[in-house]
Amino acid sequence: MRPEFKILKGFAFAAAALACGLSAKPAAAADPLLLGYQMPLSGDRSQYGEMFRNAAEIKLKAFNAAGGVDGTPVQIVYEDSKNDPKEAIAIAQKFSDNPRILGVLGDFSSTVAMAAGEVYAKSGVAQLSQTASHPDYTKVSKWQFRNITTQAYEGPFTSKWMRESGAKTVAIIAIQNDWGISAAEEFAKAFAAQGGKVTATEYFNPGTRDFRSILTKIGRAKPDAIYLCMFYEEGASALQQAKQLNVKSAMFSTSSLYSPKLIELGGDSVNGLRMASTFVPENPAPEVQTFVSEYKAAYNDAPNMFAAQAYDAVGIMLDALKAVGPKATRAQLRDALAKTNNYPGVTGKTSFDPETREPAKELAKMEVKGGKFVVLP
Amino acid sequence: MVVNVSNLSPRLRQLGLVAVLFGAIPAGLALMGGGYPFQVGITALIFVTLAVSLNLVTGTAGLLSLGHAGFFGVGAYAAALAATKLHWPFLLTLPLAGIVAAALGVIVALPTMRLISIYFAVATLGVGEMIHVSLLNWVSFTRGPMGIRSIPPIEILGLDLSGVIGGYYVAATVAALAIFAVHRLTHSYYGNALRSLREDDQCSAAMGLNPVRLKIEAFAVSCAIAGMAGAVYAHTASFISPDSFRFEESILILAMIVVGGLGSLPGAVIGAVLLIVLPEVLRGIGDFRMIAVGVFMFLSILFLPKGLLGEASAIGLARRQLGAAWRGDIGAGWK
Amino acid sequence: MPDIFDAYFAQQVINGISLGLVYALVAIGFTLIFGILNVVNFAHGEIYTVGAFAGLLLIVGAAPPLLAVVLLVMAVGAAAGVGLERLAFRPIRRFSDEASLKSRAMREATLLSSLAVSIVAREVMAHVFGGEMRIIPQAALLQDVITLGPLTLTNGNLIIFGASVVMLGGLQFMLYRTRVGLSIRAVSNNVLGARHVGIDTNRTIVATFAIGSSLGAAAGILVGLYDGNIYPYMGFAPGIKAFVAMVMGGLSSIPGAVICALLLGVSESVATDFLSSGWKDLIAYGLLVVTLIFFPQGLFGHGRERV
Repeated sequence: MRPEFKILKGFAFAAAALACGLSAKPAAAADPLLLGYQMPLSGDRSQYGEMFRNAAEIKLKAFNAAGGVDGTPVQIVYEDSKNDPKEAIAIAQKFSDNPRILGVLGDFSSTVAMAAGEVYAKSGVAQLSQTASHPDYTKVSKWQFRNITTQAYEGPFTSKWMRESGAKTVAIIAIQNDWGISAAEEFAKAFAAQGGKVTATEYFNPGTRDFRSILTKIGRAKPDAIYLCMFYEEGASALQQAKQLNVKSAMFSTSSLYSPKLIELGGDSVNGLRMASTFVPENPAPEVQTFVSEYKAAYNDAPNMFAAQAYDAVGIMLDALKAVGPKATRAQLRDALAKTNNYPGVTGKTSFDPETREPAKELAKMEVKGGKFVVLP
Repeated sequence: MVVNVSNLSPRLRQLGLVAVLFGAIPAGLALMGGGYPFQVGITALIFVTLAVSLNLVTGTAGLLSLGHAGFFGVGAYAAALAATKLHWPFLLTLPLAGIVAAALGVIVALPTMRLISIYFAVATLGVGEMIHVSLLNWVSFTRGPMGIRSIPPIEILGLDLSGVIGGYYVAATVAALAIFAVHRLTHSYYGNALRSLREDDQCSAAMGLNPVRLKIEAFAVSCAIAGMAGAVYAHTASFISPDSFRFEESILILAMIVVGGLGSLPGAVIGAVLLIVLPEVLRGIGDFRMIAVGVFMFLSILFLPKGLLGEASAIGLARRQLGAAWRGDIGAGWK
Repeated sequence: MPDIFDAYFAQQVINGISLGLVYALVAIGFTLIFGILNVVNFAHGEIYTVGAFAGLLLIVGAAPPLLAVVLLVMAVGAAAGVGLERLAFRPIRRFSDEASLKSRAMREATLLSSLAVSIVAREVMAHVFGGEMRIIPQAALLQDVITLGPLTLTNGNLIIFGASVVMLGGLQFMLYRTRVGLSIRAVSNNVLGARHVGIDTNRTIVATFAIGSSLGAAAGILVGLYDGNIYPYMGFAPGIKAFVAMVMGGLSSIPGAVICALLLGVSESVATDFLSSGWKDLIAYGLLVVTLIFFPQGLFGHGRERV
C-alpha cells in the first residue's frame, strides 16, 4: 500500500471515532434557565462527584416543583472534570461560551476549581464551589464564592475544644494538598496560641492508605491528642491502623470526616473520635430532615458532609437566581449571590461577607459513641 | 478538489500546512462559536508539542521515557516562578523553561544513558515521580499543592494575547516550531543515526557513531521542547499545581504517540489531537466517556498496532511530499 | 520500656516489611508475566482489584473461611488473566514475522493495549460498584492485633508473610520442577526456539497468565482485607511499586523482585522516621535510580540479551 493510502486509512479511522462522538451530542433543551456544575464523575475522585450530583438533583427538583424562578424552571448542566485542571479549564470555557448559563457550581478540589476560576474571572461568571477551601480561592477574582467554612474558622474552634478537654500536646496528620495544609496550619497556630504544644505535623501524599509509619513516628512523643485533617476514606484507614498500633491518644478530626460511611468502614476503631461539624443529620430542623429522608429515599444511602455542602450550594445559587428573576444577567446573579445572608441550609445558616465573599457558619460538636454520631451539647 | 496537491512543490505544501494551522483551523474553531473550541485547541496544541518531543526520544531514538510529564512540569514551574517572582515576560520565560528542562534532562541523562530498554524506562519513571514529589513537597519554593496563582497572561511586544484566540496563536506557533525542529532532526542523517541506535546501538557504535552523545542530545532537545510546552501551559492557564504533572500525564503522552504511530511525526500530531479532542467531543455521552476513550485506544491498537500512521509510511510521506529528501525525490534526508 | 528509640525504630522496620510484602505479593505475578513476554502488563493492577472485589462479594454473600475465599479468588483471577491475554496480548502476537518481532512500535503497542484494557476495566468497575471505598464486614478484616512487648503486629502481617512464602516457594517449585515450569522457562528464554522444540507457546503463555493473574488476584483480596480498603482505583499505586521492584530486582528473578519490594517498603517506612512522609516516595524512587546507575541490570539480573 502506498503511504498516502495508509494515511487515508488512519484519518478515516480518526474521523469515524470523532463522528461517533459528535453524533452522540444531546439535543439542546429549550426554555429553562441554565446553571453549570463541574465535578469529577470519572477518575479516582468520582465518588464525590456522584454525591454532589445526587444532592443537587434533589434540591433542583424541589425548587422547580415549588415554581422555579417566577414559573421558569431551572436546569443544571453537569460536566465531568475528572478532577483534572486541564479538563476543568476547557469546561469553564464551554460554560462561559454558553450565554444561557448564568452561574456555575463546582469544582471539587480547590486546585481544579482555581484553574477553572481563572477562566470565570475573565468571562465574568459567578462560581460557587461547595468544597474549595484553599485560602486563595476567593482571591482569584470577585466572581468566586464558596459555602464551606475555611479552616481559619474551624481550626481555632476544635483547638479550643481540645484544650478544654485537657489535651496539652497534639500531633497533626494532614493530607498534602492545599486544604490539608491550611487545615493543619490554622489549627497549629490556634493550638499554640491557646497554650498547647504541637509535637509533630505530618503530611501524607494524596492516595496514601497506609498510615502505620506516620502513626509510629508521631506515637513516639505520646501526644495527648491527634488531629486528623483528611477525608473520611483516609480517616477510616488511619483510625483502624491507629487501633492496630495501639495508639492511645484522643482522636479529633476536621468536619470532612463526617460521613455515615466512616463508621461502616472503620467499625469499632472510630469510636471516641470527636469533630466539629456543620451538618448534623439528627438536627430536628425540618430542612435537614427533609434532605436526609429524601436523599435516603432516592439513593438508598445516608447523606454525608459533602452531599450536604452540594445541596446547600445549589440552594444558595437558586435563591440568588430567584431574587434576580428569569431575565437576570450574570453580573446581577453575582451581586445577588454576594448579598446572601443567613441562608437556612442543612449545614447551618450561611452568609457571605460582601467584601471577602467568605462564608460564616455555626459549628456543632460531634463524637462517635457506640457506632453512632452523637451531637454534644 | 480545486488544487491538485501532487503538483505543488514541497515548499508550497509546507506553507499550506502552516496556512491550515494558522488560518483554516482557527476559522473553523471560530465558526463553532465561543472560546471553548479555542481552549480545547490550546490544550491539544500543548499536547501536540509534548507528543512531538516525546516522539523524538521514544519513537526515533527508541528510549522509552515514562517521565515526560515531569519535564513538562519543570518547564511550567520555571516559567511560572520567573513570571510571578521576577516579572519576566513570556518571551524570556519561554526559553528559560526550555533551558531549565533541558539542563535537568542532561543531568538525568548523563548517568542513565547506559541503561537499556526497560531499565531506562523505569529510571525515567522514577525521575518523573521524583519531580512530582518535589513539586508537591518543596512548599517553600513551589508553594507545593497550593499551586502558583495569577501567572501573567501572554503579552509580546505590547501585543496583548491574553484571550483564548491569542493563546491559540501562541500555542500554535510553539507547536509549529517544535514540529519543524523535530521534522528537520528526524528526517535527516541525524535522524537516521538516531534510528540506527534504536535498532542496534552496538552496531551503530561500530560504524562510528557516538551513541551516548547522540542519546543525550536527543533527550535534551526533547526535554527542552517539553519545558517550553510547560511555559505555554503555565501562561495560558494562569494557575498551575502539581496535579497537572502526574505519572498519568506521562502515560497519556506516551499513549498519544503509540496511537499515532511510534516514530512517526505526523502520527504524533494526530494522536495528540485525537486523545485531547475525543474526550471533549464525547462529553455528550456523559459518564461513559472514559470507557469510550479506552475502547477507542484498544481498537486502534488492535487494528493498527503500528499506529494510525506508521513510521515507514510517515517517513515516506515526509520525503515525497514535504521535501525532506536532500536530493531530488529519492534521497535520504538533510545532511 | 528499656530503650524507647529502638522499640519505635523496630516498629518502623516492621511497618516497612509489611508494606514491602504487599508490594512483593503484587510483584511476584507481575514478574512472572513480564518474564515470558518481555512486555509490561499494565493491567496487572486491575487483576489485583478484580481479585479484591471478587473476594469481597464472596465474603459478603457467603462468608466462607479465608482459605476458601483465597482459592476461589485465585480461580477468578486465573479466568481474568486468560481473558486479558486473549483480549490484549494475543491479537498483537498475530504479527510473527521478524520485522514485527524486532519492531519497537509493536512492543509498545502491546504495552498500550494492556493499558487501554486497564482503563476500561477500571472505569467499568467504578460504574458498577461506585468509585468509593467498599464496606468490609469487620469480622473478615485481617487486623487482629498481636502484641510482642512494645511491638504490635496483626494477623494480616503473618498471613501476608505466609502467603508470600507459599507463593514464592510454590512458584519456584513449579518453574524448576514441573513440565509446565520448564516450558515457561523455555518460552521466556526464546519464543521461536521453544516453538522449534515442540512447545505449544500459546498454551504456555496462557498458563503463565493464569498463574500470574491468580497470584495477583489473591494479593488483591489479602491486601484489601489487611488495609481495610477496597475500591476500584486500588490497583494503581501497588502496581507501579511492583513494576519498580521487578526492574530493581533484574526482571528475570522473582526472588530478586521480592527482595527489592521489601527493600522499597522498609526504605519508605524508615524514611518517614527522618523526613516528612510526603518525601518518602522521593527516597524510594531515588533508591531505584541509584540502584540502576550502579547495577544497570538490576540487583539480581544477569547478562540478558540486549533487547
